[in-house]
Amino acid sequence: MRNFVSAILCFVFLSLSSHAFSGDAGAGEKRYAVNCGNCHGPGGMGLASYPKISGKEVAYLTDRLKTYRSGKRIGPNSDLMIMMAKPLTDVEIDNLAAYLATDPAGKK
Amino acid sequence: MLKKSKLLSAAIFSAATLLAANGQADTMGTPKISAMSILNGLENPWDMAFTKNGDMFFTEKCKGFSVKTSSGKVNKLYGMKGTSGYNSAGDDLFCSGQAGMLGIAVDPNFKKNRRIYVASASTKYHGSGCKDNFDVCNGNIIMRFEVSKDMKSVSNRTDIVNDIQYKPFESDHPFGGPGAHNGNRLRFGPEGYLWATTGDRHKGDVPQHPTLLGGNVLRIDTDGKAHPGNKPPKGFDKRMYTYGHRNVQGIDFRPSDGRAFTAEHGPWHNDEITALVNGGNAGWDPKPNVAGRGDCPDKYCGYMPNQKEGMLPAARAEAGTPMSDERFKDLMPPAWNNNGLSQGTGSAAFLKGSQWGYWEGRLAVGIMGIAFGGTPSGMRIDVIDITKDGKAIKSVIQMPTGLTKRFRGLRLGPDGALYAAVDEGEIYKITARK
Repeated sequence: MRNFVSAILCFVFLSLSSHAFSGDAGAGEKRYAVNCGNCHGPGGMGLASYPKISGKEVAYLTDRLKTYRSGKRIGPNSDLMIMMAKPLTDVEIDNLAAYLATDPAGKK
Repeated sequence: MLKKSKLLSAAIFSAATLLAANGQADTMGTPKISAMSILNGLENPWDMAFTKNGDMFFTEKCKGFSVKTSSGKVNKLYGMKGTSGYNSAGDDLFCSGQAGMLGIAVDPNFKKNRRIYVASASTKYHGSGCKDNFDVCNGNIIMRFEVSKDMKSVSNRTDIVNDIQYKPFESDHPFGGPGAHNGNRLRFGPEGYLWATTGDRHKGDVPQHPTLLGGNVLRIDTDGKAHPGNKPPKGFDKRMYTYGHRNVQGIDFRPSDGRAFTAEHGPWHNDEITALVNGGNAGWDPKPNVAGRGDCPDKYCGYMPNQKEGMLPAARAEAGTPMSDERFKDLMPPAWNNNGLSQGTGSAAFLKGSQWGYWEGRLAVGIMGIAFGGTPSGMRIDVIDITKDGKAIKSVIQMPTGLTKRFRGLRLGPDGALYAAVDEGEIYKITARK
Protein backbone atom coordinates (compact mmCIF):
# COMPACT_ATOMS: atom_id res chain seq x y z
CA MET A 1 0.00 0.00 0.00
CA ARG A 2 2.81 2.37 0.97
CA ASN A 3 4.56 1.61 -2.34
CA PHE A 4 1.37 2.28 -4.25
CA VAL A 5 0.88 5.69 -2.61
CA SER A 6 4.52 6.55 -3.26
CA ALA A 7 4.12 5.66 -6.91
CA ILE A 8 0.99 7.81 -7.22
CA LEU A 9 2.70 10.74 -5.49
CA CYS A 10 5.75 10.31 -7.73
CA PHE A 11 3.56 10.31 -10.87
CA VAL A 12 1.67 13.41 -9.73
CA PHE A 13 4.93 15.19 -8.90
CA LEU A 14 6.48 14.34 -12.27
CA SER A 15 3.35 15.43 -14.11
CA LEU A 16 3.29 18.75 -12.30
CA SER A 17 7.03 19.23 -12.84
CA SER A 18 6.69 18.55 -16.52
CA HIS A 19 3.80 20.98 -16.75
CA ALA A 20 5.66 23.63 -14.80
CA PHE A 21 8.68 23.51 -17.10
CA SER A 22 6.97 23.18 -20.49
CA GLY A 23 6.18 26.32 -22.39
CA ASP A 24 2.89 27.58 -23.72
CA ALA A 25 3.05 27.35 -27.51
CA GLY A 26 0.16 29.80 -27.94
CA ALA A 27 1.90 32.43 -25.83
CA GLY A 28 5.11 31.67 -27.70
CA GLU A 29 3.40 32.34 -31.01
CA LYS A 30 2.27 35.74 -29.75
CA ARG A 31 5.77 36.59 -28.51
CA TYR A 32 7.28 35.40 -31.79
CA ALA A 33 5.00 37.79 -33.67
CA VAL A 34 6.44 40.78 -31.78
CA ASN A 35 9.77 40.86 -33.61
CA CYS A 36 11.26 37.39 -34.20
CA GLY A 37 9.57 36.96 -37.57
CA ASN A 38 11.19 40.09 -39.00
CA CYS A 39 14.37 38.05 -39.49
CA HIS A 40 13.41 34.39 -39.19
CA GLY A 41 10.23 34.76 -41.21
CA PRO A 42 6.73 33.36 -40.77
CA GLY A 43 6.81 30.48 -38.30
CA GLY A 44 10.62 30.53 -38.19
CA MET A 45 10.98 29.38 -41.81
CA GLY A 46 14.34 31.18 -42.18
CA LEU A 47 14.94 34.16 -44.48
CA ALA A 48 17.97 35.56 -46.27
CA SER A 49 20.95 34.87 -44.00
CA TYR A 50 18.76 34.27 -40.93
CA PRO A 51 18.44 30.55 -40.20
CA LYS A 52 15.40 28.31 -40.07
CA ILE A 53 14.39 27.72 -36.46
CA SER A 54 11.03 26.06 -37.05
CA GLY A 55 10.92 22.44 -35.87
CA LYS A 56 14.06 22.55 -33.72
CA GLU A 57 13.96 20.72 -30.40
CA VAL A 58 12.87 22.54 -27.26
CA ALA A 59 16.18 21.85 -25.50
CA TYR A 60 18.18 23.30 -28.40
CA LEU A 61 16.02 26.42 -28.72
CA THR A 62 16.03 27.06 -24.98
CA ASP A 63 19.78 26.63 -24.76
CA ARG A 64 20.43 28.95 -27.70
CA LEU A 65 18.19 31.70 -26.41
CA LYS A 66 19.63 31.51 -22.90
CA THR A 67 23.17 31.51 -24.28
CA TYR A 68 22.44 34.63 -26.35
CA ARG A 69 20.75 36.22 -23.36
CA SER A 70 23.92 35.69 -21.34
CA GLY A 71 25.84 37.69 -23.94
CA LYS A 72 27.87 34.78 -25.28
CA ARG A 73 28.56 34.73 -29.03
CA ILE A 74 27.62 31.63 -31.02
CA GLY A 75 27.75 32.43 -34.73
CA PRO A 76 27.99 35.42 -37.05
CA ASN A 77 24.67 37.06 -36.17
CA SER A 78 25.31 36.82 -32.42
CA ASP A 79 25.40 40.58 -31.88
CA LEU A 80 21.86 40.84 -33.22
CA MET A 81 20.55 37.85 -31.28
CA ILE A 82 22.17 39.01 -28.04
CA MET A 83 20.26 42.29 -28.36
CA MET A 84 17.02 40.46 -29.10
CA ALA A 85 17.42 37.85 -26.35
CA LYS A 86 18.50 40.14 -23.52
CA PRO A 87 14.98 41.24 -22.53
CA LEU A 88 13.47 37.72 -22.68
CA THR A 89 12.28 36.11 -19.44
CA ASP A 90 12.64 32.40 -18.70
CA VAL A 91 8.91 31.96 -19.32
CA GLU A 92 9.10 33.75 -22.68
CA ILE A 93 12.01 31.53 -23.72
CA ASP A 94 10.10 28.41 -22.73
CA ASN A 95 7.04 29.64 -24.64
CA LEU A 96 9.04 30.50 -27.75
CA ALA A 97 10.74 27.12 -27.68
CA ALA A 98 7.42 25.35 -27.26
CA TYR A 99 5.96 27.21 -30.24
CA LEU A 100 8.90 26.74 -32.60
CA ALA A 101 9.25 23.07 -31.70
CA THR A 102 5.80 22.47 -33.20
CA ASP A 103 7.36 23.25 -36.61
CA PRO A 104 4.95 26.07 -37.45
CA ALA A 105 6.65 26.79 -40.79
CA GLY A 106 6.29 23.17 -41.82
CA LYS A 107 2.57 23.26 -41.11
CA LYS A 108 1.92 26.21 -43.40
CA MET B 1 -17.93 84.55 -29.24
CA LEU B 2 -14.99 85.48 -31.35
CA LYS B 3 -13.27 82.28 -30.33
CA LYS B 4 -16.37 80.25 -31.22
CA SER B 5 -16.55 81.95 -34.58
CA LYS B 6 -12.91 81.14 -35.26
CA LEU B 7 -13.47 77.54 -34.27
CA LEU B 8 -16.49 77.31 -36.56
CA SER B 9 -14.52 78.80 -39.42
CA ALA B 10 -11.70 76.39 -38.80
CA ALA B 11 -14.10 73.46 -38.77
CA ILE B 12 -15.72 74.56 -42.03
CA PHE B 13 -12.29 75.13 -43.59
CA SER B 14 -11.10 71.67 -42.46
CA ALA B 15 -14.21 69.98 -43.83
CA ALA B 16 -13.86 71.83 -47.11
CA THR B 17 -10.20 70.87 -47.31
CA LEU B 18 -11.03 67.22 -46.71
CA LEU B 19 -13.73 67.26 -49.36
CA ALA B 20 -11.38 68.99 -51.76
CA ALA B 21 -8.63 66.51 -51.02
CA ASN B 22 -10.96 63.58 -51.67
CA GLY B 23 -12.21 65.15 -54.85
CA GLN B 24 -8.69 65.91 -55.95
CA ALA B 25 -7.52 62.36 -55.28
CA ASP B 26 -10.02 61.05 -57.79
CA THR B 27 -9.04 63.47 -60.51
CA MET B 28 -5.29 63.20 -59.94
CA GLY B 29 -5.21 59.60 -61.05
CA THR B 30 -4.21 57.83 -57.86
CA PRO B 31 -3.78 54.23 -59.05
CA LYS B 32 -5.69 51.36 -57.53
CA ILE B 33 -3.17 48.69 -56.52
CA SER B 34 -3.61 44.95 -56.38
CA ALA B 35 -1.02 42.26 -55.68
CA MET B 36 -1.11 38.62 -56.68
CA SER B 37 1.38 35.84 -55.95
CA ILE B 38 2.54 34.28 -59.22
CA LEU B 39 5.20 31.93 -57.82
CA ASN B 40 5.54 30.45 -54.34
CA GLY B 41 7.55 27.80 -52.56
CA LEU B 42 10.77 29.38 -53.75
CA GLU B 43 13.95 29.61 -51.68
CA ASN B 44 15.15 33.19 -51.27
CA PRO B 45 14.18 34.50 -54.72
CA TRP B 46 16.41 37.48 -55.39
CA ASP B 47 15.93 39.01 -58.82
CA MET B 48 13.90 38.74 -62.01
CA ALA B 49 14.45 39.73 -65.64
CA PHE B 50 12.00 39.69 -68.54
CA THR B 51 12.06 39.13 -72.26
CA LYS B 52 9.82 41.37 -74.32
CA ASN B 53 7.49 38.36 -74.73
CA GLY B 54 6.97 38.14 -70.98
CA ASP B 55 9.22 35.19 -70.14
CA MET B 56 10.52 35.76 -66.61
CA PHE B 57 13.98 34.58 -65.56
CA PHE B 58 14.52 34.49 -61.81
CA THR B 59 17.26 33.57 -59.38
CA GLU B 60 17.10 31.74 -56.06
CA LYS B 61 20.08 32.60 -53.91
CA CYS B 62 21.23 29.11 -52.97
CA LYS B 63 19.80 27.13 -55.85
CA GLY B 64 20.22 28.65 -59.32
CA PHE B 65 18.23 30.38 -62.01
CA SER B 66 15.05 29.34 -63.80
CA VAL B 67 12.59 30.76 -66.28
CA LYS B 68 8.83 31.02 -66.05
CA THR B 69 7.86 31.13 -69.69
CA SER B 70 5.07 33.29 -71.03
CA SER B 71 2.98 30.10 -71.19
CA GLY B 72 3.41 29.65 -67.44
CA LYS B 73 5.79 26.68 -67.41
CA VAL B 74 8.83 26.83 -65.11
CA ASN B 75 12.14 25.44 -66.44
CA LYS B 76 15.08 25.09 -64.04
CA LEU B 77 18.03 26.14 -66.15
CA TYR B 78 21.34 26.38 -64.27
CA GLY B 79 22.01 25.30 -60.72
CA MET B 80 24.70 25.83 -58.13
CA LYS B 81 26.93 23.26 -56.48
CA GLY B 82 24.93 20.56 -54.73
CA THR B 83 21.58 21.39 -56.27
CA SER B 84 19.43 19.02 -58.29
CA GLY B 85 16.74 19.30 -60.93
CA TYR B 86 18.50 21.91 -63.04
CA ASN B 87 19.30 21.25 -66.68
CA SER B 88 22.97 22.01 -65.98
CA ALA B 89 25.01 23.43 -63.12
CA GLY B 90 28.22 25.17 -62.14
CA ASP B 91 30.16 23.40 -59.40
CA ASP B 92 32.05 26.62 -58.62
CA LEU B 93 28.87 28.50 -57.68
CA PHE B 94 27.96 28.59 -54.01
CA CYS B 95 26.03 30.55 -51.42
CA SER B 96 27.09 31.74 -48.00
CA GLY B 97 25.35 34.31 -45.81
CA GLN B 98 24.20 37.17 -48.04
CA ALA B 99 26.13 35.86 -51.05
CA GLY B 100 24.92 33.46 -53.70
CA MET B 101 23.20 33.68 -57.06
CA LEU B 102 21.74 37.16 -57.06
CA GLY B 103 21.24 39.56 -60.00
CA ILE B 104 19.98 38.63 -63.46
CA ALA B 105 19.50 40.63 -66.67
CA VAL B 106 18.27 39.92 -70.18
CA ASP B 107 20.23 41.30 -73.13
CA PRO B 108 18.36 44.10 -74.96
CA ASN B 109 19.01 42.09 -78.15
CA PHE B 110 17.83 38.82 -76.61
CA LYS B 111 15.60 38.00 -79.57
CA LYS B 112 18.71 37.81 -81.74
CA ASN B 113 21.51 36.70 -79.42
CA ARG B 114 19.57 34.75 -76.70
CA ARG B 115 21.92 36.12 -74.04
CA ILE B 116 21.30 36.59 -70.34
CA TYR B 117 23.66 37.70 -67.54
CA VAL B 118 23.81 36.39 -63.98
CA ALA B 119 25.82 37.43 -60.92
CA SER B 120 26.93 34.86 -58.36
CA ALA B 121 29.50 33.94 -55.74
CA SER B 122 32.09 31.57 -57.21
CA THR B 123 35.22 29.75 -56.05
CA LYS B 124 36.66 29.63 -59.57
CA TYR B 125 38.90 32.71 -59.36
CA HIS B 126 40.03 32.60 -55.73
CA GLY B 127 43.52 31.64 -56.91
CA SER B 128 46.05 32.34 -54.18
CA GLY B 129 43.76 34.96 -52.61
CA CYS B 130 40.95 34.70 -50.05
CA LYS B 131 43.30 33.42 -47.31
CA ASP B 132 41.76 35.81 -44.81
CA ASN B 133 39.38 38.76 -44.79
CA PHE B 134 42.18 41.23 -45.48
CA ASP B 135 43.34 39.43 -48.61
CA VAL B 136 42.16 40.17 -52.14
CA CYS B 137 39.31 37.74 -52.80
CA ASN B 138 37.89 37.53 -56.31
CA GLY B 139 34.76 35.68 -55.30
CA ASN B 140 31.85 37.36 -57.09
CA ILE B 141 31.48 37.02 -60.84
CA ILE B 142 29.18 37.97 -63.69
CA MET B 143 28.37 35.22 -66.19
CA ARG B 144 26.89 35.39 -69.67
CA PHE B 145 24.77 32.52 -71.00
CA GLU B 146 22.89 31.70 -74.18
CA VAL B 147 19.38 30.38 -73.75
CA SER B 148 18.04 27.66 -76.04
CA LYS B 149 15.07 28.48 -78.25
CA ASP B 150 12.84 26.07 -76.33
CA MET B 151 13.81 27.90 -73.09
CA LYS B 152 14.80 24.61 -71.45
CA SER B 153 18.59 24.97 -71.25
CA VAL B 154 21.51 27.38 -71.34
CA SER B 155 24.95 27.02 -72.90
CA ASN B 156 28.21 28.86 -73.63
CA ARG B 157 28.78 30.17 -70.14
CA THR B 158 31.31 33.00 -70.34
CA ASP B 159 32.51 34.75 -67.18
CA ILE B 160 32.68 38.39 -68.25
CA VAL B 161 33.72 39.77 -64.83
CA ASN B 162 35.67 37.58 -62.42
CA ASP B 163 37.24 39.92 -59.88
CA ILE B 164 34.43 41.38 -57.78
CA GLN B 165 35.40 41.18 -54.13
CA TYR B 166 33.94 38.63 -51.71
CA LYS B 167 34.16 38.24 -47.93
CA PRO B 168 35.48 34.73 -47.21
CA PHE B 169 35.37 34.51 -43.38
CA GLU B 170 33.41 35.63 -40.33
CA SER B 171 34.45 38.91 -38.72
CA ASP B 172 33.73 40.72 -35.48
CA HIS B 173 30.73 42.71 -36.71
CA PRO B 174 26.96 42.57 -36.67
CA PHE B 175 25.85 40.55 -39.72
CA GLY B 176 29.50 39.46 -39.58
CA GLY B 177 29.28 36.14 -41.41
CA PRO B 178 31.11 35.32 -44.63
CA GLY B 179 29.48 36.54 -47.82
CA ALA B 180 28.49 40.01 -46.55
CA HIS B 181 27.75 42.95 -48.87
CA ASN B 182 27.94 41.80 -52.46
CA GLY B 183 25.68 44.26 -54.28
CA ASN B 184 25.19 42.20 -57.45
CA ARG B 185 22.10 43.80 -58.98
CA LEU B 186 22.35 43.77 -62.79
CA ARG B 187 20.46 46.12 -65.09
CA PHE B 188 20.87 47.26 -68.68
CA GLY B 189 20.97 51.02 -69.06
CA PRO B 190 19.13 52.91 -71.78
CA GLU B 191 22.34 53.09 -73.83
CA GLY B 192 22.53 49.27 -73.98
CA TYR B 193 25.43 48.77 -71.53
CA LEU B 194 25.30 46.50 -68.50
CA TRP B 195 25.33 48.15 -65.07
CA ALA B 196 26.43 46.02 -62.11
CA THR B 197 26.40 46.97 -58.46
CA THR B 198 28.96 45.72 -55.95
CA GLY B 199 29.35 45.88 -52.15
CA ASP B 200 32.11 46.75 -49.69
CA ARG B 201 32.28 43.10 -48.44
CA HIS B 202 33.14 44.34 -44.89
CA LYS B 203 36.66 45.36 -45.93
CA GLY B 204 37.45 48.88 -44.78
CA ASP B 205 39.56 50.02 -47.72
CA VAL B 206 37.41 48.59 -50.52
CA PRO B 207 34.89 51.38 -51.27
CA GLN B 208 37.54 54.06 -51.84
CA HIS B 209 40.06 51.64 -53.38
CA PRO B 210 41.12 52.53 -56.93
CA THR B 211 41.40 49.00 -58.28
CA LEU B 212 39.50 46.53 -56.08
CA LEU B 213 35.97 46.04 -57.37
CA GLY B 214 33.64 46.53 -54.40
CA GLY B 215 31.41 49.39 -53.35
CA ASN B 216 31.08 50.48 -56.98
CA VAL B 217 28.61 50.70 -59.78
CA LEU B 218 30.21 49.22 -62.88
CA ARG B 219 29.22 50.14 -66.43
CA ILE B 220 30.48 47.55 -68.88
CA ASP B 221 29.77 46.05 -72.27
CA THR B 222 28.50 42.52 -72.73
CA ASP B 223 32.07 41.19 -72.82
CA GLY B 224 32.81 42.81 -69.46
CA LYS B 225 34.92 45.66 -70.83
CA ALA B 226 34.59 49.21 -69.56
CA HIS B 227 32.23 51.64 -71.24
CA PRO B 228 34.54 54.11 -73.02
CA GLY B 229 32.71 57.03 -71.44
CA ASN B 230 33.30 56.02 -67.81
CA LYS B 231 35.17 58.77 -65.96
CA PRO B 232 36.52 57.36 -62.69
CA PRO B 233 39.40 59.28 -61.05
CA LYS B 234 42.88 58.81 -62.49
CA GLY B 235 44.34 55.42 -61.62
CA PHE B 236 40.96 53.82 -60.92
CA ASP B 237 39.62 50.75 -62.70
CA LYS B 238 37.93 51.98 -65.86
CA ARG B 239 34.93 49.71 -65.34
CA MET B 240 33.82 51.93 -62.45
CA TYR B 241 31.05 54.42 -63.18
CA THR B 242 30.87 55.39 -59.50
CA TYR B 243 32.69 54.34 -56.33
CA GLY B 244 32.46 54.85 -52.55
CA HIS B 245 29.25 52.85 -52.07
CA ARG B 246 28.39 50.50 -49.21
CA ASN B 247 26.11 47.82 -50.61
CA VAL B 248 24.02 48.81 -53.59
CA GLN B 249 21.15 46.41 -54.21
CA GLY B 250 18.92 48.71 -56.20
CA ILE B 251 19.54 50.50 -59.49
CA ASP B 252 17.29 51.77 -62.25
CA PHE B 253 17.13 54.52 -64.84
CA ARG B 254 14.70 57.45 -64.78
CA PRO B 255 12.48 57.26 -67.85
CA SER B 256 12.43 61.03 -68.38
CA ASP B 257 16.20 61.50 -68.74
CA GLY B 258 17.84 58.06 -68.50
CA ARG B 259 19.73 59.04 -65.34
CA ALA B 260 20.83 56.19 -63.06
CA PHE B 261 19.63 56.13 -59.46
CA THR B 262 20.74 53.68 -56.78
CA ALA B 263 19.04 52.43 -53.63
CA GLU B 264 21.44 51.43 -50.90
CA HIS B 265 21.39 49.87 -47.44
CA GLY B 266 22.63 52.07 -44.60
CA PRO B 267 24.72 50.79 -41.67
CA TRP B 268 22.02 50.98 -38.95
CA HIS B 269 21.32 54.48 -40.23
CA ASN B 270 20.58 56.34 -43.45
CA ASP B 271 19.42 54.12 -46.28
CA GLU B 272 19.98 56.23 -49.36
CA ILE B 273 18.63 56.96 -52.83
CA THR B 274 21.32 58.61 -54.94
CA ALA B 275 21.41 60.12 -58.42
CA LEU B 276 24.64 58.87 -59.92
CA VAL B 277 27.24 61.15 -61.48
CA ASN B 278 29.80 59.67 -63.86
CA GLY B 279 32.99 59.20 -61.84
CA GLY B 280 31.29 60.27 -58.62
CA ASN B 281 31.96 59.20 -55.06
CA ALA B 282 29.06 58.00 -52.87
CA GLY B 283 31.11 58.92 -49.81
CA TRP B 284 31.26 55.65 -47.87
CA ASP B 285 34.67 55.15 -46.27
CA PRO B 286 34.69 52.64 -43.40
CA LYS B 287 38.49 52.59 -43.01
CA PRO B 288 39.94 52.91 -39.52
CA ASN B 289 42.08 55.88 -38.50
CA VAL B 290 40.49 58.42 -40.85
CA ALA B 291 37.85 61.12 -40.39
CA GLY B 292 38.59 61.36 -36.67
CA ARG B 293 38.11 57.64 -36.04
CA GLY B 294 40.54 55.28 -34.33
CA ASP B 295 40.95 51.55 -34.79
CA CYS B 296 37.88 49.42 -35.45
CA PRO B 297 37.15 45.68 -35.11
CA ASP B 298 38.81 43.79 -37.97
CA LYS B 299 39.79 47.10 -39.60
CA TYR B 300 36.21 47.88 -40.61
CA CYS B 301 34.35 50.81 -39.03
CA GLY B 302 31.05 50.27 -40.80
CA TYR B 303 29.01 49.78 -37.63
CA MET B 304 30.83 52.14 -35.33
CA PRO B 305 30.44 53.56 -32.82
CA ASN B 306 28.91 51.17 -30.35
CA GLN B 307 28.42 48.38 -32.85
CA LYS B 308 27.24 45.76 -30.36
CA GLU B 309 24.44 47.71 -28.71
CA GLY B 310 21.12 49.16 -29.72
CA MET B 311 21.21 52.92 -30.07
CA LEU B 312 18.57 55.50 -30.87
CA PRO B 313 18.45 55.83 -34.65
CA ALA B 314 18.81 59.61 -34.58
CA ALA B 315 21.87 59.38 -32.33
CA ARG B 316 23.41 56.73 -34.55
CA ALA B 317 22.74 58.76 -37.70
CA GLU B 318 24.58 61.64 -36.02
CA ALA B 319 27.50 59.65 -34.64
CA GLY B 320 27.91 56.73 -37.01
CA THR B 321 30.33 56.38 -39.89
CA PRO B 322 28.59 58.58 -42.48
CA MET B 323 27.03 57.05 -45.57
CA SER B 324 27.86 60.20 -47.52
CA ASP B 325 30.99 61.73 -46.01
CA GLU B 326 31.10 65.41 -46.90
CA ARG B 327 34.90 65.53 -46.72
CA PHE B 328 34.93 64.12 -50.27
CA LYS B 329 34.92 66.83 -52.91
CA ASP B 330 33.48 64.47 -55.55
CA LEU B 331 30.60 63.41 -53.27
CA MET B 332 27.25 62.56 -54.84
CA PRO B 333 24.81 63.77 -52.18
CA PRO B 334 21.81 61.49 -51.65
CA ALA B 335 18.34 62.55 -52.74
CA TRP B 336 16.77 60.69 -49.78
CA ASN B 337 18.08 59.12 -46.60
CA ASN B 338 15.02 57.33 -45.16
CA ASN B 339 14.71 59.91 -42.38
CA GLY B 340 17.97 58.70 -40.93
CA LEU B 341 16.82 55.09 -40.61
CA SER B 342 18.31 51.90 -41.98
CA GLN B 343 15.53 49.50 -42.89
CA GLY B 344 17.12 47.41 -45.63
CA THR B 345 16.50 49.30 -48.85
CA GLY B 346 16.90 46.47 -51.28
CA SER B 347 15.83 47.30 -54.80
CA ALA B 348 14.31 49.97 -56.97
CA ALA B 349 12.32 50.32 -60.17
CA PHE B 350 10.87 53.37 -61.89
CA LEU B 351 7.15 53.11 -62.60
CA LYS B 352 6.32 53.43 -66.29
CA GLY B 353 2.97 53.71 -68.03
CA SER B 354 -0.18 55.76 -67.56
CA GLN B 355 -1.77 52.98 -65.47
CA TRP B 356 0.37 54.25 -62.60
CA GLY B 357 -1.48 57.59 -62.71
CA TYR B 358 0.44 60.42 -61.13
CA TRP B 359 2.96 57.89 -59.80
CA GLU B 360 4.24 57.41 -63.36
CA GLY B 361 7.94 58.24 -63.44
CA ARG B 362 8.36 57.85 -59.69
CA LEU B 363 10.75 55.37 -58.09
CA ALA B 364 9.34 52.31 -56.34
CA VAL B 365 11.74 51.19 -53.61
CA GLY B 366 11.60 47.79 -51.93
CA ILE B 367 12.41 47.78 -48.23
CA MET B 368 13.07 44.78 -46.00
CA GLY B 369 13.93 45.83 -42.45
CA ILE B 370 14.39 43.68 -39.37
CA ALA B 371 13.56 46.21 -36.64
CA PHE B 372 16.17 46.60 -33.93
CA GLY B 373 17.85 49.30 -31.90
CA GLY B 374 14.73 51.48 -31.95
CA THR B 375 14.29 51.30 -35.74
CA PRO B 376 10.83 50.22 -36.87
CA SER B 377 10.51 47.35 -39.31
CA GLY B 378 10.45 48.15 -43.04
CA MET B 379 8.68 45.50 -45.13
CA ARG B 380 7.04 47.85 -47.59
CA ILE B 381 7.36 49.47 -50.98
CA ASP B 382 7.82 53.23 -51.01
CA VAL B 383 6.99 55.36 -54.03
CA ILE B 384 9.38 58.27 -54.16
CA ASP B 385 8.98 61.44 -56.20
CA ILE B 386 12.50 62.68 -56.93
CA THR B 387 13.25 66.24 -58.01
CA LYS B 388 14.43 66.87 -61.56
CA ASP B 389 17.99 67.67 -60.45
CA GLY B 390 18.12 64.40 -58.46
CA LYS B 391 19.27 66.13 -55.29
CA ALA B 392 16.10 65.88 -53.20
CA ILE B 393 12.66 64.33 -53.07
CA LYS B 394 9.24 65.88 -53.18
CA SER B 395 7.29 63.11 -51.46
CA VAL B 396 7.26 59.52 -50.25
CA ILE B 397 4.08 57.44 -50.40
CA GLN B 398 3.78 53.88 -49.16
CA MET B 399 2.35 51.67 -51.90
CA PRO B 400 -0.84 50.01 -50.56
CA THR B 401 0.02 46.47 -51.62
CA GLY B 402 -1.61 44.87 -48.58
CA LEU B 403 1.62 42.92 -48.11
CA THR B 404 4.05 43.01 -45.20
CA LYS B 405 7.05 41.24 -46.71
CA ARG B 406 10.79 41.59 -47.11
CA PHE B 407 10.84 43.13 -50.59
CA ARG B 408 14.18 41.91 -51.98
CA GLY B 409 13.84 42.49 -55.71
CA LEU B 410 11.67 44.83 -57.79
CA ARG B 411 11.44 44.87 -61.56
CA LEU B 412 8.95 46.40 -63.96
CA GLY B 413 7.64 43.82 -66.41
CA PRO B 414 6.97 44.36 -70.11
CA ASP B 415 3.26 44.45 -69.23
CA GLY B 416 3.77 47.52 -67.04
CA ALA B 417 3.19 45.60 -63.81
CA LEU B 418 5.67 45.75 -60.94
CA TYR B 419 7.11 42.36 -60.00
CA ALA B 420 8.42 41.83 -56.48
CA ALA B 421 10.57 38.99 -55.13
CA VAL B 422 10.21 38.60 -51.37
CA ASP B 423 12.48 36.72 -48.99
CA GLU B 424 9.47 34.72 -47.81
CA GLY B 425 9.78 32.68 -51.01
CA GLU B 426 7.33 34.27 -53.40
CA ILE B 427 7.21 36.50 -56.46
CA TYR B 428 4.28 38.91 -56.67
CA LYS B 429 2.78 40.73 -59.59
CA ILE B 430 1.60 44.18 -58.52
CA THR B 431 -0.74 45.87 -60.93
CA ALA B 432 -2.10 49.39 -61.10
CA ARG B 433 -5.21 50.76 -62.71
CA LYS B 434 -6.62 54.22 -62.67
